[in-house]
Amino acid sequence: MDIKQDAGNVFPWDGTLTSSDFFRAAHMFSDKWRRFNTSVPPWLWVPCLKRRLASSHEVEGYLSLEKTSLFKSSEEKQDAGSLILKEESNMLENEEPFDCATLGPESDYHEINHYDFHVVYSASYKVPVLYFRAYHSDGQPLLFSEIEKGLPGLSVKFLSESKWTFITQEEHPYLNRPWYKLHPCGTSEWMKLLFSTHKSLTTNGSTIEHYLISWFSVVGQVLGLKIPLEMLNCS
Amino acid sequence: MAEHTQKGPLLQFAPMQSLVDEGFWHRLSSLKLNKLGIDDSPIPINGFYAPCSHSQISNHLTLLAESLPSESNESLLAPDTSRGNRNKCSVPGILYNTNTVESFHALDKQNLLKAEASKIWEDIQTGNAVEDPAILSRFLLISFADLKKWTFHYWFAFPALMLDPPVTVNYLKPASQWLSKEEVESLSAACNEWRNSRLTADVPFFFITIDANSCATIKHLKDWETCQSDAYKTLFGFYDPCHLPNNPGWPLRNFLTLLSAKWNLKRVQFLCYRENRGFADMDLSLVGEALITDSQGEGDGVPNVVGWELNKGRKIPRRISLSQSLDPTRLAISAADLNLKLMRWRALPSLNLSTLSSVKCLLVGAGTLGCQVARMLMAWGVRKITLLDNGRVAMSNPLRQSLYTLDDSLNGGEFKATAAVRSLQKIFPAVEAEGVVMAIPMPGHPVPSQEEESVLDDCRRLSDLIDAHDAVFLLTDTRESRWLPSLLCANTNKITITAALGFDSFLVMRHGAGPFSQASNLSTETVTSVCDDMHKLNVNDATGKERLGCYFCSDVVAPTDSTSNRTLDQQCTVTRPGLAPIASSLAVELLVGILHHPQGIYAEGEINLSVSDTTEQPLGILPHQIRGSLSQFSQMTLIGHSSSSCTACCQTVVSEYRNKGMEFILQAINHPTFLEDLTGLTELMKSASSFSMDWDEDVDDEDDDDCVEI
Repeated sequence: MDIKQDAGNVFPWDGTLTSSDFFRAAHMFSDKWRRFNTSVPPWLWVPCLKRRLASSHEVEGYLSLEKTSLFKSSEEKQDAGSLILKEESNMLENEEPFDCATLGPESDYHEINHYDFHVVYSASYKVPVLYFRAYHSDGQPLLFSEIEKGLPGLSVKFLSESKWTFITQEEHPYLNRPWYKLHPCGTSEWMKLLFSTHKSLTTNGSTIEHYLISWFSVVGQVLGLKIPLEMLNCS
Repeated sequence: MAEHTQKGPLLQFAPMQSLVDEGFWHRLSSLKLNKLGIDDSPIPINGFYAPCSHSQISNHLTLLAESLPSESNESLLAPDTSRGNRNKCSVPGILYNTNTVESFHALDKQNLLKAEASKIWEDIQTGNAVEDPAILSRFLLISFADLKKWTFHYWFAFPALMLDPPVTVNYLKPASQWLSKEEVESLSAACNEWRNSRLTADVPFFFITIDANSCATIKHLKDWETCQSDAYKTLFGFYDPCHLPNNPGWPLRNFLTLLSAKWNLKRVQFLCYRENRGFADMDLSLVGEALITDSQGEGDGVPNVVGWELNKGRKIPRRISLSQSLDPTRLAISAADLNLKLMRWRALPSLNLSTLSSVKCLLVGAGTLGCQVARMLMAWGVRKITLLDNGRVAMSNPLRQSLYTLDDSLNGGEFKATAAVRSLQKIFPAVEAEGVVMAIPMPGHPVPSQEEESVLDDCRRLSDLIDAHDAVFLLTDTRESRWLPSLLCANTNKITITAALGFDSFLVMRHGAGPFSQASNLSTETVTSVCDDMHKLNVNDATGKERLGCYFCSDVVAPTDSTSNRTLDQQCTVTRPGLAPIASSLAVELLVGILHHPQGIYAEGEINLSVSDTTEQPLGILPHQIRGSLSQFSQMTLIGHSSSSCTACCQTVVSEYRNKGMEFILQAINHPTFLEDLTGLTELMKSASSFSMDWDEDVDDEDDDDCVEI
């Protein structure tokens, strides 16, 4: 027997969401984001069909924000010489015709790293989980140590001090490839804490409406994602 | 370069850049492994790009997992539906994936490039390029997938038909400067509409007419011939992935070639269409006028072609390593590490994972205890495990010895040491496990002279093994087999843990530090003398505290050929099955405790006085001995100090060994009372038995085995 209750109705609330709550919360979040964030790409809902034994007619999916870019400062430019074998030098030297119409490579070459973020619902913890990955501009994935270097200074401090945040590498539930994620085991506790200090949030089932915004205001800090104040202040 | 009086500078195009999503390599690996095998015929693929959407970052030609045909397709003739959308303009390409790195380097790149160039040229000539202009950006990819190391070598080429002489440019400026304000508005609106319609969003080449009323209309290229209206302004537009303010992107090259060859246009006004945050941006977009003096037209041969992508400025292929996300062993390692890290994060911040992963453990005995200890060690993150056992897997073993299966016991049975290592590797491929098939020389089991040399070899081998490890577990099933390892460990001051089983009782203990640990100066006088009064012998270790005892310290009788009267170390087949896992687990937990204790092997023994007792160590108390009884479901922690008559670890014995080496060992093995005489136990027993009449109770052998209790 599966009683699905609205998050706001569970009392005292334990900080979790049901899967259908998440679906609604995700759409509310992405709508608000689009409204207040005209200068930033929107979050897109990616639906996924997963065949389940207990057939629920809900569409599963996740929120996706892809290809946000971070410039690496030029002094961090790695010497990628290790990846270039010496014997593969100038294989086209005499073959390609000389072409003056091609723009030469930039002199001050800036490495750009791209980040993808997904918000996925975790059925076992009953909370949203932030998955992310990073890669160089040619597609080579970043190592975790490189990601750490790229994170804004605040979040590294935040990570090591806070006992709620922990980054792990696990298989993405829909894409079947390793992604990094913020481990969800503390989420329900601090969501509960967050909502208990803002009594207005839990009235009249508006928990769902505010859930992802509040959640994001915390996890976003870790990765340097900003949430505009207007979104937080709206009633 | 003849007269260029009227001509402007050369138009320089920013090269196309590639981005290959991890998913593409995953899909290719899977395709190669499951479907293609060694078939290396070219594979049609799709690339995706979109107009530049950021003022500082160019867009790339992107390959995704869906760029490749799916495995379920019957034929590889066409990739599955990859009709683009506004963010993914689909462009056809071809992949040549070779089977070896040599054939990758040996590919005739120029010929492959020319082949693609002739396809484009043909499409221009026949008019296909006008119908479906995306094919103007056709590309080539060569690759080699090393599926053992999970590295991929690859090289993109974006064929550009060269115009000769090269195109020059009269002006190139932001569109907002070339158009009037109303034209900008109208054009932006028209572009946004074009970009939002499913029918046109992925058509990357088009032309624009602006009439006298500043009204802009976008049309398909194929309409050019029919609607050659006398528009006020005409622009040939294309999605420009490049963001640079002074250069157009690569797709313009073949576009200009088309316009020149097909329609003989010599002065072309073009629009490099770029966006900002999803909407047309006329400040970022550029308008320019190109002058083409190329004389090639229809019917001529294929023009020259360039287009191999540079790798950080050099003409060499790229290489990407994905072992981190594809290699199952590495994934297993990171999953295992995750568990331990979670433990450290949530419960035990002082957990020292690097110590655990670097400690080298020697397990003497690969039976009931050995198998369980090995598993528990791996669960704690220990990676370096050596198992020593000379037995073979018997058919009853798999039930109690958790590393073996029935198959190991067939045909006489595998050697336990080798079967155990194999089993450990199947559980966790990154374990560094080694098996040693060897018997342990034992006192009280005399050897005939012809075997002496091989026994001495075994002794030396055992000594070397102990030297090479950090922690030794004594997990055999007889007392006498524990003697030599105990002595050797005491000599080298190695962490030693003993587990021994009775029918329904067990003992797990850690040996104290060796008598000569850190070469205490106090003992120099007593080293050479054997006849000293026993009481003066140094029983302290380097810290000056009394040493904790070893397994033999409580013995009054030296280990001899065992009889069935011994409570402990009976053949494990007659013990209650629950005992071995319990004892093994405690043994490993004890080791972890020692490794985390600031004093390590010198740590004092602690006992569990009360549940509420707070201890300083996060892992809890570090006992010396744990004795448990299944019949009572009880467990006791005990402390026993070293005995100066111990046949394995007392100073006398260890110094004899140091002086006489293997000769000493041989004597101990061959003469049952040698050790007792040496340590004066014989004397002690004589004096003890002279009092026996005064004792009320019978002291039988079993009680003598008990350690001193506190």
